[in-house]
Amino acid sequence: MPQFFSNKRLILLLVGVIFLVALISFSLRDRDNASLPEQIIKDVVGFGQAIFSKPTQYITGVFDNVDSLLNTYEENKRLKGRLEEFAKLQADVNDLASENTRLREIVDKEEDLREYDPIQATVIARNPDQWEEKVVLDKGEVHGVKVNMAVITARGLIGKVILTTPFTSTVELLSTQNPNYRVSAMVAGEKEVFGLIEGYDDERKELILKRVDSNIEIKKGQKILSSGLGGIFPKGILIGEITEVTTDDFGLTKMAYIKPAAEFALLDHVMIAERTMTTEDGTDGDTLNEDDSTEEEDAP
Amino acid sequence: MIRFVVPLIAIILFYLEPVFGLFSPLELNGEYRYLIPRFLIMYLIFISIYYSRNRAMVYGLVFGVLYDVFFIDIIGLYSFLYPLICLIASFIVKYIHQHLLVTTTLSLVLVALLEFALYYFFSLIGLTDISLSVFVFERLLPTMIANSIFLIMLGWAFKYVISARLIQRLNQPS
Repeated sequence: MPQFFSNKRLILLLVGVIFLVALISFSLRDRDNASLPEQIIKDVVGFGQAIFSKPTQYITGVFDNVDSLLNTYEENKRLKGRLEEFAKLQADVNDLASENTRLREIVDKEEDLREYDPIQATVIARNPDQWEEKVVLDKGEVHGVKVNMAVITARGLIGKVILTTPFTSTVELLSTQNPNYRVSAMVAGEKEVFGLIEGYDDERKELILKRVDSNIEIKKGQKILSSGLGGIFPKGILIGEITEVTTDDFGLTKMAYIKPAAEFALLDHVMIAERTMTTEDGTDGDTLNEDDSTEEEDAP
Repeated sequence: MIRFVVPLIAIILFYLEPVFGLFSPLELNGEYRYLIPRFLIMYLIFISIYYSRNRAMVYGLVFGVLYDVFFIDIIGLYSFLYPLICLIASFIVKYIHQHLLVTTTLSLVLVALLEFALYYFFSLIGLTDISLSVFVFERLLPTMIANSIFLIMLGWAFKYVISARLIQRLNQPS
């Protein structure tokens, strides 16, 4: 014991602890950009990480292929059943799309909240300790990625970019516990209903939609899409499906549990959605204060 | 040649951790199980026990900083915990027999200690609000099982490489 706690070591330990607390509090405050040394480390480590994760993805890809090959017969049968339905749907969609463009031409409105340029990216790492739901992508500022952009897979929204360096970007997934994480959303239906995705129920594995006007009827099974009114995300990205509707803690607004459409486990290829229309730092960003959110609710 | 093998293994393990992290969380019967790879720290514990405490702590500091900056953006968390775990390992090992089985168990106990420290830290800063029992069953147990499989498979190789390096260093005229 005496050797372990010699004077010199004790002082060293104390200085270390103070330094540590200072560093942690420095890095815990809200930061928009990584500092230069951090960016350099991130890019260098990210480069090495990309080398390691590419072969892994190839191998898991092979396993996936074998897996889907085994399911081919079942799947084929099911898909054939849906094919007819699909043809009709396709015709409808084409019809509506052309009508939409024509109407747009008439009213002379070209920009649309729905349009976005996808940036294809590969997940090179997932935060291995998994306390925070973060993944690292292999595309960064030089590819046009900016903070707060939406990240989607083919199945729906998965998260948003929270930090960028020249060659990598960090994405915080929707399943985070971070209380400052909000996505402006709407309930799809004949009449669009707006709300905010705020929070994630870890035990149910479902997202929570809050601040929905209590006079408006929302039902189980309705789809939730991004509304595009948060300033950064494009409109109409699928988020999930309502599984339960309740009132919030104060009984003033409704809240709903939402089963996410996208899988958060085993992510590999994702898209970063860069909205074509001008972006503004609103609800989807970090600058929300209570006034903004109420304004948003009052929106049509 | 063997001189560079010891840090090289550390670098490979550092890069392998997030790759294995991509497979987690596993969904078993509708419940999620988090497997957290802790390969690097187990290797550092082995270095600390069989080779040199100071070397292990320096590696721990360097990789801790990289880990902090690249993954969790809280600088000072792993860069403190990694060297601390190595220090504890070297301290305990003075009192126990250095058999591979004993050191393997010791490494696993220290990994569990690391997990607990991280759990309390993240609860403290409010990043997680899971209860202790959920933590133990969803995270700690699967993590310990996965890591013990890894260590039982590769522990002897770590020991072999590290002892080879140690013998080489002892033979070198200084």
